[in-house]
Amino acid sequence: MKNFAYTRATSTRDAIAQTTGNPSAMVIAGGTNLVDRMKVFLDQPSDLVDLSRLPLKQMERTRSGGFKIGALVTNTTLADHPEIRRDYPLLSRAILSGASQQIRNVATVGGNLLQRTRCPYYYDTAFGCNKRQAGTGCPAATGVNRGHAILGASDQCIATHPSDMCVALAALDAIVEVEGSRGTRQIPFAEFHRLPGDTPQRDTNLEPGEIITSITLPPLPAAKTGVYLKLRDRASYAFALVSVAAILELSGDEIRSARLALGGVAHKPWRSPEAERFLVGKPATPETFTQAAAIALQSAKPLTYNGFKVELSKRIIQRALAVVAKGGGLA
Amino acid sequence: MEVNMSQNISQNSNQNATTSVVGTAASRKDGRAKVTGTATYAAEHQLSGLVHGYVVTSPIAKGRIRSINTTAAAQAPGVIAVYTHQNSPQIFKPANNWMNSKIYEARLPLSDDQIHYAGQVVGMVVADTLERARHAAHLVQVDYEPQAPQVNARTANYQPSPPWFGEDFTFNSGSFSTGSAEVTGIEAQIEATYTTEMELHAPMEPHATIAHWQGKDAVTIYEPSQYVLLTQKTYAELLGLAVERVRILSPYIGGGFGSKAFPWPPSILCAAAARDLGRPLKVVNSRRQMTANAGHRSETEQTLKLSATAAGKLVLIEHLAKSCTSPVDVFPEPCTIVTPVMYAAPNIRLEQQLAVMNVGTPTFMRAPGEAPGMWALESAMDELAWTLKIDPVQLRIMNQTQSHQRKNLPFSAKQFTECLEQGAERFGWQGRSPEPRSQVSPSQTQDDLLVGWGMAAATFPGYRGATSAKVRLLPDGTAHVLSSGNDMGTGAYTVVGMTAADALGLPLNQIRVELGDSLLPDGGIAGGSQMTASLTPSVALACQEVLKAAEATTAAAAFEKLRQTGRAAFEATASTAPGEETKQFAFNSWGAHFCEVTVDELLGRLRITRWVSVMNIGRVLNPKTAASQVRGGIIMGMGQALMEECHFDPNTGFPVVYDLATYHFPAHADIPRIEVAFVGEPDLNFNPMGVRGVGEIGITGVAAAIANAVYHATGKRIRSLPILPEKLL
Ligand SMILES: Cc1cc2nc3c(=O)[nH]c(=O)nc-3n(C[C@H](O)[C@H](O)[C@H](O)COP(=O)(O)OP(=O)(O)OC[C@H]3O[C@@H](n4cnc5c(N)ncnc54)[C@H](O)[C@@H]3O)c2cc1C
Repeated sequence: MKNFAYTRATSTRDAIAQTTGNPSAMVIAGGTNLVDRMKVFLDQPSDLVDLSRLPLKQMERTRSGGFKIGALVTNTTLADHPEIRRDYPLLSRAILSGASQQIRNVATVGGNLLQRTRCPYYYDTAFGCNKRQAGTGCPAATGVNRGHAILGASDQCIATHPSDMCVALAALDAIVEVEGSRGTRQIPFAEFHRLPGDTPQRDTNLEPGEIITSITLPPLPAAKTGVYLKLRDRASYAFALVSVAAILELSGDEIRSARLALGGVAHKPWRSPEAERFLVGKPATPETFTQAAAIALQSAKPLTYNGFKVELSKRIIQRALAVVAKGGGLA
Repeated sequence: MEVNMSQNISQNSNQNATTSVVGTAASRKDGRAKVTGTATYAAEHQLSGLVHGYVVTSPIAKGRIRSINTTAAAQAPGVIAVYTHQNSPQIFKPANNWMNSKIYEARLPLSDDQIHYAGQVVGMVVADTLERARHAAHLVQVDYEPQAPQVNARTANYQPSPPWFGEDFTFNSGSFSTGSAEVTGIEAQIEATYTTEMELHAPMEPHATIAHWQGKDAVTIYEPSQYVLLTQKTYAELLGLAVERVRILSPYIGGGFGSKAFPWPPSILCAAAARDLGRPLKVVNSRRQMTANAGHRSETEQTLKLSATAAGKLVLIEHLAKSCTSPVDVFPEPCTIVTPVMYAAPNIRLEQQLAVMNVGTPTFMRAPGEAPGMWALESAMDELAWTLKIDPVQLRIMNQTQSHQRKNLPFSAKQFTECLEQGAERFGWQGRSPEPRSQVSPSQTQDDLLVGWGMAAATFPGYRGATSAKVRLLPDGTAHVLSSGNDMGTGAYTVVGMTAADALGLPLNQIRVELGDSLLPDGGIAGGSQMTASLTPSVALACQEVLKAAEATTAAAAFEKLRQTGRAAFEATASTAPGEETKQFAFNSWGAHFCEVTVDELLGRLRITRWVSVMNIGRVLNPKTAASQVRGGIIMGMGQALMEECHFDPNTGFPVVYDLATYHFPAHADIPRIEVAFVGEPDLNFNPMGVRGVGEIGITGVAAAIANAVYHATGKRIRSLPILPEKLL
């Protein structure tokens, strides 16, 4: 680990001031991802600005009946909040299916959004990696790529975004509120994370010096029956092979609106507008769900070792939608 | 936990003792220290002036080092020294023959510019803190001349395997030895190939060493060691010292499983560099470094052919196994050694092949040979049972062998049938639906879950070695038991204490046990599941000897004498060793696993929901610690069955697992309640305590039991481990 200067931010403004214009400064919240990365030389900040004492830990109802969640609310606090569990159970389940209790106790909402890929080629500086250093190649493309992307990847990068929470937030159309030297702005969740394209070094559209201050969940009554389903190599404490967040608004048997987001398959939580559009107006039947699943995976491009993810993604979509149609719960 | 075991304690030399502690479920003597964090493991020793080493490892898997530039590393803050093959500290070539010394990898660290596998140690940086050493290690610039590595076991070049501890793997009996072509009576036959992936050693405690020199010719080494006195002799040779100038301290080991018996390259380098520096030096392997520097179990490919009569009697067994080793040492995974032990057949053929790959050196891993061997054999037996439409439990009972078919010796105190029958009974095996895909469990989710039941046998040899133990009686009314043998989490502190408590007629809390110090009498190896079988007879004998030395019939009388005479202590050392019995009997522990799995077929989601194991291990000294060993083995077997695998980048040969988030083994959520029961009698042919080993048998047969249950659930025969979700889709 390279030596670095550590300071505690006294205010959001202070944190912004300390990091703006200093490309080798980084902010730290729970530290559960950043410290690991520093230990293996993925990040070597000269200055570390600690956000953890800032007053960004509130959770409050919005006037419209949604929820505003401070960036420093821990993953545990958010997942355990009784109103989140009641009104947005898929968010609670997504968080609880990730990491471990100990890690969730310190991991924050802001940090979770900005955790970086677990691609083993990115993680070890013995390999080249375009995400780590532009122009050094993507050995995963011809390597062991069982865990890699089947949707939206590029020649430059086939990494996946590892977060569970973000898959639920994508389905919920959350809004990310950020603050920088030029003031605050709101980023719709779908526009927060990026596809790799030619710049896989950038995971998100956050500008240098900008800090996440909160996340807002819009009100969404249908979220009450929403489902999060994650498949992984063991029963707990593993990143997703594939996961899905699904919400249906039903009128009788007919689907009024649908939201479908996949995790573990792309460089960002993957919404499927095509499948969502297809579902609208259809009866909530297994046949409909099978067709929607096929549509969602239409553009999938499997690699040497991850072809099974295409089929598995279709199947979790079918399962998740079927459970939602039956009133939600564990899938 | 129930124990069906006649507890017949003949060792109790104290007439006055009312109750015996042997056979009771006493809690671990070291449990409190471990859960409260006061048990000091090797890397936790605080020494003044301690500095930290961090090894530099090769990112290429084959080739040579063209040049190394250490300038930036040497100038980094806190750096004290940078070692490469160009300025290696002095290391002497040991005999490496098991008798005088043994190292895991024959090639010494930093001995030349050749690269044999990714992760090979090519240098070490020493600095005042771990963080600075790690940082500077990252700054060492090595220019490599790479060659294409071989890291694919499927395309490796296999040759007949060298022998295993002097014995040829190849074995032919019946028509295979006479060369006669025809084998008659075959009415059913299965032939199949079973594979396993590379499994990494990943004990909780990473491999770590602190070397603390007293001048240039005496050293104390803190290192987890499963074999303290051989490690002592080995370091003496590596460092060019007299044996008594080396002290090894290894009171606690955070899991060894075969990977902590001898020094690995980073530890050797640590000891040698510490002398060069004249400061205590600590080197701890990172998880990443452990992928190449802590051993693994090779991937295996095994072809099994079983032929039987229609009634189910085996007529022929052929077992061909392949495994891989590194370019710098030879370690075949001895899969076929288990075959002549399990089932009788008049015609047996065994053969093993070995290939060299550009990977770190494989080694012993819990039940080496038996674990993969039983995966293949017990899967094949299940396939045969389905072919014959015979209950797999009956097929095993019918075909078990009462003698070791290679040694031609009868098994001593074998109660394998009881394991099978009692296991079946406890599990409710007779309720099994006869067809695959015929059992379902309604689910809260959408689809019913398929339910499958599977079973498999377990076995592991009874090994025993020569050991010594010292017992000391003190005026304060305590007895101390001292031995270099150690407790790697198995319960040795506890069973050694219990043995002494009964032999002396004292309560367990008046016994103090000191283990894992090379100054103490040779306690042998904590490996091959033999520590208890080897050491407790010496402990029991030393207790008798110390009473003789005190001319007392009871410990109480001896304590009284000490108090009256003002004498400091009575002390006796005793040694025991295996003898003629090894020419009369073959010794194995036996067991049977029964399990239930559910499969959510749409998602390929497999869960193990029930587990019953019945074991026959001779006398059970402590049903709690013994069952805990069996459970640990079963859990490790679940990892082997469902998730453990190390893969290599096909282009560079670099492993793509780097920590415990990428190398999966079971989490608590993967493990159901595991019921363990014991059957049988003390095996007094084996040793005076009647105990056989229990550390490794648990893992054997587990993967097969699971795959057999998966077949029952789904009708799908899985012949390649691990059983990942995609294999069930
Ligand atoms: C062993 C392990 C297993 C895990 N398993 C899972 C899993 O299964 N599923 C899953 O979803 N996650 C998993 N995680 C990841 C975990 O969820 C993240 O590490 C955690 O959410 C990160 O939060 P943090 O507060 O600790 O972030 P930090 O480590 O403090 O920061 C992460 C990044 O976010 C930046 N950052 C933090 N806060 C802000 C802010 N307010 N504004 C701008 N930038 C900010 C930091 O600069 C840094 O780049 C696992 C982690 C570990 C260590």
